Amino acid sequence: MSRFSSSPFAHNNSSVQKIMLQVQLAAFPALLAHIMLFGYGIIIQWFLAVATALLVEFVMLKLRDRPVMPNITDFSALITVTGLVFCIPPESPWWVIVSGCAFALVFGKHLYGGLGYNPFNPAMLGYAFLLISFPAEMTQWTLPKDLAGYTLSFWDSFNHILFGVMPNMPIDSFTGATPLSTLQTGLQQGLSSQDMLQATYFESSWLNLTAWGWINIAFLIGGLWLLYTRTIRWQFPVGFLGALAFMAWVFHMINPALYAPISFHLLFGGTMLAAFFIITDPVSSSTTPMGRLIFAASIGILVYVIRNWGAFPDGIAFAILLMNIAVPLIDRYTQPRVLGHIR
Amino acid sequence: MSMFAGILIFLGLALAFGLLLGYAAVRFRIEGNPLAEIIDKKLPQTQCGQCGYPGCKPYAEALAKGEAEVNLCIPGGEPTMIEIAEILQVEPKPMQAEATEPKPKMLAVIDEDICIGCVLCIKACPVDAIIGTTKMMHTVIEKECTGCELCVPVCPVDCIDMVMEKPNLKNWKWPEPKAAAERTE
Amino acid sequence: MNIRLHQKLINLIASIYPMAKRWLHQFHGGVFPKYNKSLSLRQPLRTSYVPKQLILPLQQHMGEAALPCVEVGEQVKKFQMIAQPAKGLSAPVHAPASGKIIAIEQRILPHASGLAEPCIVIEPDAKQDAIENALGITHKPKTIAEFKQLLLNAGIVGMGGAGFPTFAKLPDQPKKIKHLIINGAECEPFITCDDLLMQTHAPEIVRAALFVAELFDVEQVICGIETNKPQAIEAMRQACEDTRIRLEEVATVYPMGGQKQLTQELIGVEIPSQLHSIDIGVVMMNVATLRAITQAIELGQPLISRFVTVSGMGLKKPYNIEALLGTPFNELVELAQPEPKLNYPLLMGGPMMGFAVAHNDVPVIKTTNCILANPPETSDEPMACIRCGECAEACPVSLLPQQLYWHARAHEYDKTEQLKLFDCIECGCCSFVCPSHIPLVQYYRHAKAEIREIKQQAKLTEIAKQRFDAREARLERDKHEREAKLAAKKAAVKQQAADAPKVEKTAADAPKLSAREKAIQAAKARQKASQTTANEKDATAKKASRKDNSKPAETAPAQSANDKRQAAMQAAKARAAALKAQKTASTETPANLTEQAQASSVEDTPSNSASAEDKRKAAMDAAKAKAAERKKRQQESSQ
Repeated sequence: MSRFSSSPFAHNNSSVQKIMLQVQLAAFPALLAHIMLFGYGIIIQWFLAVATALLVEFVMLKLRDRPVMPNITDFSALITVTGLVFCIPPESPWWVIVSGCAFALVFGKHLYGGLGYNPFNPAMLGYAFLLISFPAEMTQWTLPKDLAGYTLSFWDSFNHILFGVMPNMPIDSFTGATPLSTLQTGLQQGLSSQDMLQATYFESSWLNLTAWGWINIAFLIGGLWLLYTRTIRWQFPVGFLGALAFMAWVFHMINPALYAPISFHLLFGGTMLAAFFIITDPVSSSTTPMGRLIFAASIGILVYVIRNWGAFPDGIAFAILLMNIAVPLIDRYTQPRVLGHIR
Repeated sequence: MSMFAGILIFLGLALAFGLLLGYAAVRFRIEGNPLAEIIDKKLPQTQCGQCGYPGCKPYAEALAKGEAEVNLCIPGGEPTMIEIAEILQVEPKPMQAEATEPKPKMLAVIDEDICIGCVLCIKACPVDAIIGTTKMMHTVIEKECTGCELCVPVCPVDCIDMVMEKPNLKNWKWPEPKAAAERTE
Repeated sequence: MNIRLHQKLINLIASIYPMAKRWLHQFHGGVFPKYNKSLSLRQPLRTSYVPKQLILPLQQHMGEAALPCVEVGEQVKKFQMIAQPAKGLSAPVHAPASGKIIAIEQRILPHASGLAEPCIVIEPDAKQDAIENALGITHKPKTIAEFKQLLLNAGIVGMGGAGFPTFAKLPDQPKKIKHLIINGAECEPFITCDDLLMQTHAPEIVRAALFVAELFDVEQVICGIETNKPQAIEAMRQACEDTRIRLEEVATVYPMGGQKQLTQELIGVEIPSQLHSIDIGVVMMNVATLRAITQAIELGQPLISRFVTVSGMGLKKPYNIEALLGTPFNELVELAQPEPKLNYPLLMGGPMMGFAVAHNDVPVIKTTNCILANPPETSDEPMACIRCGECAEACPVSLLPQQLYWHARAHEYDKTEQLKLFDCIECGCCSFVCPSHIPLVQYYRHAKAEIREIKQQAKLTEIAKQRFDAREARLERDKHEREAKLAAKKAAVKQQAADAPKVEKTAADAPKLSAREKAIQAAKARQKASQTTANEKDATAKKASRKDNSKPAETAPAQSANDKRQAAMQAAKARAAALKAQKTASTETPANLTEQAQASSVEDTPSNSASAEDKRKAAMDAAKAKAAERKKRQQESSQ
C-alpha cells in the first residue's frame, strides 16, 4: 500500500477476470446445444480460436512492450474469440477461424491500445472481415443433424476442418444456406414468408422448435445467468430484443406475406447471441443507462433493416459496428441527471 | 433552358450566401483588438520582463501586432508558448535554453537581518509586492508575490531568496495515482 | 402498511438477487459492503483512559486554525481553553485533562497529507483539576445569538466527519430551519461509535435536538437510523416517546449517512448543487454533535472527548471508547491487542472514506470517529477500464465515474467540471465496485485539487495584473506630476525674473528654491565668507559650482590654515592607508575624498552625503560578507 493510496480500502472482490469467466461460463449451454445439434465442429473451431488468441496476444503484447502475464490473463481475448466461433459455420476450414481471430484481436483490439480502448466490437470486426473476405465459406452453414440425416464424427470434422478431407458424401448434403438466407432468396423468388416457414426446411423436430431455435434458447439461458450475476446490463438485451420484436411485429402486421413473424426474428440467426453476448461488450458500447437502451434499440432496428432490405442475410455484425461509431455521440447526449441538478 | 436554370440557381445561391456573410460581418463584428487581450489572459502575469517587454500586457500587444516571437515567455514555458502559437496560428518555436518546463511557483523572501533598506527591490517589483522604506528593512507580501525574480539581481547585499511555497493543509493536493494499465514490469 | 409489504417483497427478492436491496432506498446506487460492525460491539464501552501525552492540534476543524492562549510550562486545568478561535470560521481547543503544557510544536496531524502542523502538547497529571462549568453558563441560552456564541465557546464542530464548526451552520433567525435531521445512520463499515452513543446516551441526544428545535422554531424533527442498529433504534425510540421527534428507520446501505442522501431519504428533497442544506431549510446534526451540545448547555462543558471506535481485522479485542481528544492512536490500538504487530499504517475513519495516517501516534481529534487497524492485504493492481458501468450504477449522485476518470486522467479538467466533478461526495462506491480496481476516488480528489489550484492561480494572476497596471499608472502619473511641477516652477522663475529683474537673484529665489539648491547656495555663501577653499578634486563641489549658472565658477586656491590642514592630511593619509589594507580599490577614492573633505573641515552637504555614502558602503560590505557567510553555511548544511 503506497503512502498516499486513497480510500476506499474495501472492495467487493469483483475483477475483470471474474467477469470474463462469467461470460465464458454462460456460453456453455449454447456450446452444448451446438455440439448436440451441429456436431463436434465447434469444439475444434474453439480450440483453434483459443490457440490463435494465445499466440496473437503474446506476440502483440511483446510488440507493444506491455507485460504479458497480467494482460493475457484478463481473459478478454477468450470472450472475443468465443463470440466469433459461434458466428462461423462449424465445418469451415481452419484458416477461416484463425484469420478471423487474428484480425479481431490485432485490428480490433491491440492496434487501438488494448483492452478498454477499442471503439469497435473486436468479435464483430473479425466476423465482418470474414464475411467480406470469404463469402462462400461463411454462408455455407452446416445443416443440423436431423436435417442432414447424417452426423459427422469428431474425427471427420477434424480432418475436414484441418486438412480439407471430404467425408464420404457430397458437401451439399451436410452444408446449406442458413434459414435467414434461405428466406431471403425465397422472398426474392416471390415466395411468401408463410410458405417458406411452412416448408420442411423450417419444420422443427422437437417441441416445435428448430435447431437454430434451440441454440437461441441456450443463449437466452446463458444470458439470463449473466443478467442475474450483473455481468451484463439489462438495457442491452431489453433494448435490442424489444426493438427487433417491435419492428418485426409492425411489419408482419402490415404484410405477413413479405415479412416474417416475431418468433422467426428472435429465434433465428444470431439474435440471442448478439443480445446477450455481443452487444453487451461494455468497452465498445454506450456507457450511460439511457445511452445503452438507445444503442441496443438502434442495433435492433438496424438488424431488422439489414435482414429485410440489405444484401446480407444477417446484419448483426454491421449493425453493431455502425452503432459503435455512434457511441461517443450517444454518450454525450444521454448523461444522467446528477443529484441536485435540474438537468 | 436547363443551363439557364443552373446559372440562375447558382446566382441565387451566391446572392443568398453573400447577404448572409454580409449580415454576419455586421452582426458579429468585434470591436477593438481582442487578440492582445486573449494572449494576455494566457500569460502568467508574473510581469517579470524576461521577454524583453516591460510586462505581460506589452508583450501580448507586441505579439498581437506580430512584432514579437512566441517563445519569449520564460515563466510560462512551453505550454504557454504553444497556446500563444495556437492563438496566433503560427508555428510553435522551441523555447530557449532550459525554459521548456514551466517553473514551479516560487516566492521571494527577504532576509530581514541582512536587508539594509536600500529600496532597490521595491523599485524593481512589478506588482508592488515589497513594502518598506529607506533604511527600514523590507518585506515581501507573500500573497502578492508573483515569483518573477526581478528583485533578486538588484539587491546589493543578496538578501533575497526564492523559496518554494511550503505545503500546508490548505494547499496540499492529493497526488495523482499512477496510471492504470500503463504499468510495466 | 403498503410500504411494509413492498419492503418485505424486496427483501424476499434480495435473498436470491442481493442487489435488489438497492430498490429499498430513495437515492441512486449505493453499495453493500461487509459491515463488520459486530466486532467492536462485543466489548463494553471503555471510559477514562488518560494517555501519557495529549496532543491537541490547533486545526481540528474546517476553517482557520485556533490561536494558542497558553504558554509552554503553564499548568492547565481540565476544560480550560488552551487555544482561542481565530477570526471567522474557527473553533477553540480546550484541555481534556489537567496537566502541564510541555510543548507547542509541529506534530503530524491525522490528515491524509501527513503534514505536521502546530499542536499543543499536554502532559496530564493525576490531579484531575477541573473547572466546573467552564463555559460559565447560568441558564440555558435564550436567544439564538447566545446559543451560537456558546457553541463557538464550547468548540463544537460537526462530529460526523466534516468538522464544520456547528455555530456557523446554524441560521441567525428562527423559523429558517424547517427540518432538523438527526443523523444516526452510521453507514461506514466497522464504525459503531454513534450506535453505542445512541444506546447509552439517547436522552441527551434527544434533549439537545428538542432544545434546538425549540430555539429555532423548527417545523419537523426527524431522526434517521439505519436498520442494522436495532438496539440504538430501541433506545432512541424510548427517548423520543412523547416528543415531537419522528424516528425513521432507513435502509442499511452505504452511503446512507451522507447529508444529501439522508436528506433525500427522509424528506424526499434533493439538496440543489452549489447550495447548502440550510438554503432549503434543512439542518442535519450528527448524534455525537447533539450530545456535545447537551453537555455544553446543561453542564457548561466544552468539547474535550468523543466516542471512538477502535476496530479492524488486525485487533483481537476491538472496542469503543469515550476517548479524550489528543489521545494518540497507537495507545488506543494497543489496548485492543493488535495481532499481528502494529507495523502498518492505521486508518482514521471507516474503510470507505477514511485515510491512512502518516504516523500511528497521531492524536484523536474532534472528527475521529474510528481508528481502523486492518493489516494490509495484497491488493489487486489496477487494470484498464473496461467501461462496464458498475461505477455509474453504484454512484449515489448519478455521476458517470468512468467518464470522469477518462477526463481526469487526461487532465481535461474543464471536461470533468462539465461532468459535475464537484458534486462527487468522494464516498468511494465507484472504486468499491470497480472490477479493474482503479483508484477512481483518488483521481477525482487529485482533479479537484488541481482545478481549485488552477482557479486560485487565475485569481492571483488577475490580482498581479491589476497591481501591475496600477503600478504602471502610478509611475506614469508621478512622471506627469513631476514634469508638471518642473514646468510650473520654471514658469514661476521666469515670471519672477520678469517681475523683479532688479532684485538680487539669489535672495529673490531663495524661498522658492528646493532644499538642495538652498543647501548648495548656503555652501557657496559659506565658501565665500570663510574663504575656506574646497578641494578642487571634490566632485560634488565642482558639480555644485557647475550648477550655479548665475555666477562664474570660482577656483579657490588652497592658501589658508595650511599648518592645520597638513596635520589633518597626515592623519587622513594614515587612516586611508589603514583602510586601503581592508578595502577594494573602488572604495578607495571616495574614502580618500571624504577624508580630505572632512580634513578641510568644510561641513557642507556634499561632504556629508559622501560620508553617509561611505558608511553605507561599509554597511553594504558587512552585509555582503554576512550574506556570503550565510550562503556558505547553507551550502554546507545542504551538503
